[in-house]
Amino acid sequence: MRQRYAVRSTIVVAGLVVAVLAVIVQIIRIQTSEQAAVFLSQGDRYAGEFQMFYPERGEIYDRNGHLLAGNRTVYEVGVSLREMESPEAMASALSSNLGLTYDEIYKKLTESPETWEYVVVQDYVAVDTVEKLKRLVEQLDDAEDPRLSGLAFKPHLQRSYPENALASNVLGFVTRDGRGYFGVEEKYNDLLAGNPVQIWVPRDPNKATEIPKVPNGTTLVLTINRDLQAKVESILDESLSEYGAQNGTIIVTDPRNGEILAMAATPRMDLNNYGNYFSLYDNGSQYNRAIGMTYEPGSVFKVLTMAAALDAGTVAPETTFIDTGAIEVGGITIQNWNRDAWGQQNMTGCLQHSLNVCLAWLSSQMGTQAFYGYMERFGIGHPTGVDLSGEAPGRLKRPGDGDWYPVDLGTNAFGQGVAVTPLQMLMAASAIANEGKMATPHVLYAMLRDGHQYNVPSQYAGSPISAETARTLNEMLSVSLEQESSMALLPGYRLAGKTGTAQIPTDYGYDAFHTNVSFIGWGPVDEPQFMIYIWMEQPSTSIWASETAAPVFSRVAEQTVILLNIPPDVVRSQVTK
Amino acid sequence: MQGQATQIIHAYRQAPWRVQRQWVGVFLLVVVGAAMVAALYLDVTARTAVTGREIQELRIQITTIQRETADLETRLADLTSTAAMQRRALELGYRPVLPGELDYVAVPGFAPPEPAILLAAKDTSPQTDAVPAEYTQSLLEWFEDRIKFGGIR
Repeated sequence: MRQRYAVRSTIVVAGLVVAVLAVIVQIIRIQTSEQAAVFLSQGDRYAGEFQMFYPERGEIYDRNGHLLAGNRTVYEVGVSLREMESPEAMASALSSNLGLTYDEIYKKLTESPETWEYVVVQDYVAVDTVEKLKRLVEQLDDAEDPRLSGLAFKPHLQRSYPENALASNVLGFVTRDGRGYFGVEEKYNDLLAGNPVQIWVPRDPNKATEIPKVPNGTTLVLTINRDLQAKVESILDESLSEYGAQNGTIIVTDPRNGEILAMAATPRMDLNNYGNYFSLYDNGSQYNRAIGMTYEPGSVFKVLTMAAALDAGTVAPETTFIDTGAIEVGGITIQNWNRDAWGQQNMTGCLQHSLNVCLAWLSSQMGTQAFYGYMERFGIGHPTGVDLSGEAPGRLKRPGDGDWYPVDLGTNAFGQGVAVTPLQMLMAASAIANEGKMATPHVLYAMLRDGHQYNVPSQYAGSPISAETARTLNEMLSVSLEQESSMALLPGYRLAGKTGTAQIPTDYGYDAFHTNVSFIGWGPVDEPQFMIYIWMEQPSTSIWASETAAPVFSRVAEQTVILLNIPPDVVRSQVTK
Repeated sequence: MQGQATQIIHAYRQAPWRVQRQWVGVFLLVVVGAAMVAALYLDVTARTAVTGREIQELRIQITTIQRETADLETRLADLTSTAAMQRRALELGYRPVLPGELDYVAVPGFAPPEPAILLAAKDTSPQTDAVPAEYTQSLLEWFEDRIKFGGIR
């Protein structure tokens, strides 16, 4: 009896063992089958996802810490199609808030592909609009009304410019795809944008191993002084209106280090509505006329010719020149601006009365090699290297070029037949204001990254003239301005400068009725701390720079000394003593 | 007499109930041991899971706070923009100063202050490079670590 039970129990145990073994074999077979590989890969696919982490775009500040370009929260408004209860109610609510038509939204909600779980109705929606929609959703939720179920709001950042159009030509703008255009935004796009990082984010919390460290874009501090920029823009707009000019540019720099303190140009664009770009500009070079547009500068160029002639030893300030009212260079007769003969003049008189004949004589005396050698060293015909996008190189024809004629040696001396940008003129003339050293203009003051500050050192583009020549010419330009009783003068401050009234070249010779007026000046003469360039295109009230650009210079200089805290000469001399 | 005593002891040792109890004891010991290890492992993995979730939530919070900070900075800049400040100043009865109205006072050694943005270069990115191992290691990895590098904290 006992033995019979033993046999039975052995059979049962054996049966169970076989069953267990069968289960184990089946488990192994399933785990290693081809189908298992498919299921495993499907599992891996849903175990997490690759997410792209975009860093916050770096901010842009002025030199005093005022925010010029920041980031603002906007929302993507979308609908989770699975949760949506009533497309009609959804379309109705969204159309009345988002500015889209009912049909447009309804079509999006009802005619999207079946595989879609989520539909974006509109992106870059302002916070106020989203707040309204959120309140509506809350009210319906409180009433347990599911008509707006599935409505989702995803916040993200968008570039924003608190000053709107202020310094728009310097800053540039960023489109919705995150790319910078023009100005600082384009020049430093890679630094500002930072590096997006793609990271595998597992859904399994056990595998949440690393916090993705995505460093923000580099924050930039500019040399621009916001308050001075605002004043200069205001003066420019008023001046264009007062003198009936079409467009204009005003630049204020520090000649000692090339820092651009203000750079105003017209037209300007509200950077928060960059869609207006095509209605304001015909081409990219118009975006910032201070660096993108070249023109024949006229008599402001004479300061460079005189600097070259003094430095080369061709003349001294007291050298006399008998002005007969005409000079022949390369077989062509050159005359003064009023076609008069001014008689005996010293070099200061030549500058003071802006005598074309005298300056053409100077370049002729120097010869092509010396004259163009100096112009080359002044950087004429080359980009200044300013850290702004869209700089034009200008044009200086040289002997040997197909379009250079011997008369160009004479006309170039007083700024005809040569194309420059206002910033090029400023950089070249900075050598006169800065003891012979020419500072490279720049707008970047410092970079801030990971809590560290990196200052941008000033760079010099050479010394085209000696310090002695610079001091001599500085004095000559100051005296000529004073003796002329120029409208550019500013009481209490000794300034140096030169007007420029330039004819405008056309396909059929020079325009007989319109001019470009310019003024270049700096101060205080004994210790130049600012340098100003004015350019107004085709003023209608007067064609002369002495009556248009010169008073604008005075107004800008007045605001500059106030905002930069530069005391009058008398006060400064007392402090020095 | 001695042989009888040996027989009784031997019989006691070989008693079936005693052998069974020994087996049951060993089995229970193994079960309790396994249960303890399982409970410990479950506890560690559960805490890891909770911490993982917290990390994910903190990550979202960091992103949200960074976004809100950037947004508030821009709103503040809107309120203190040149146009806004000029409007407010005019409303308060101020007007632009004229050069003749300015008095300059010489202060020896005075240097204009640096802007706040340059004085306190801020770091808004997370300071932690990686989550500590305690939050990520499994029990087995912890044992392996101890065996490799020695010492138990």
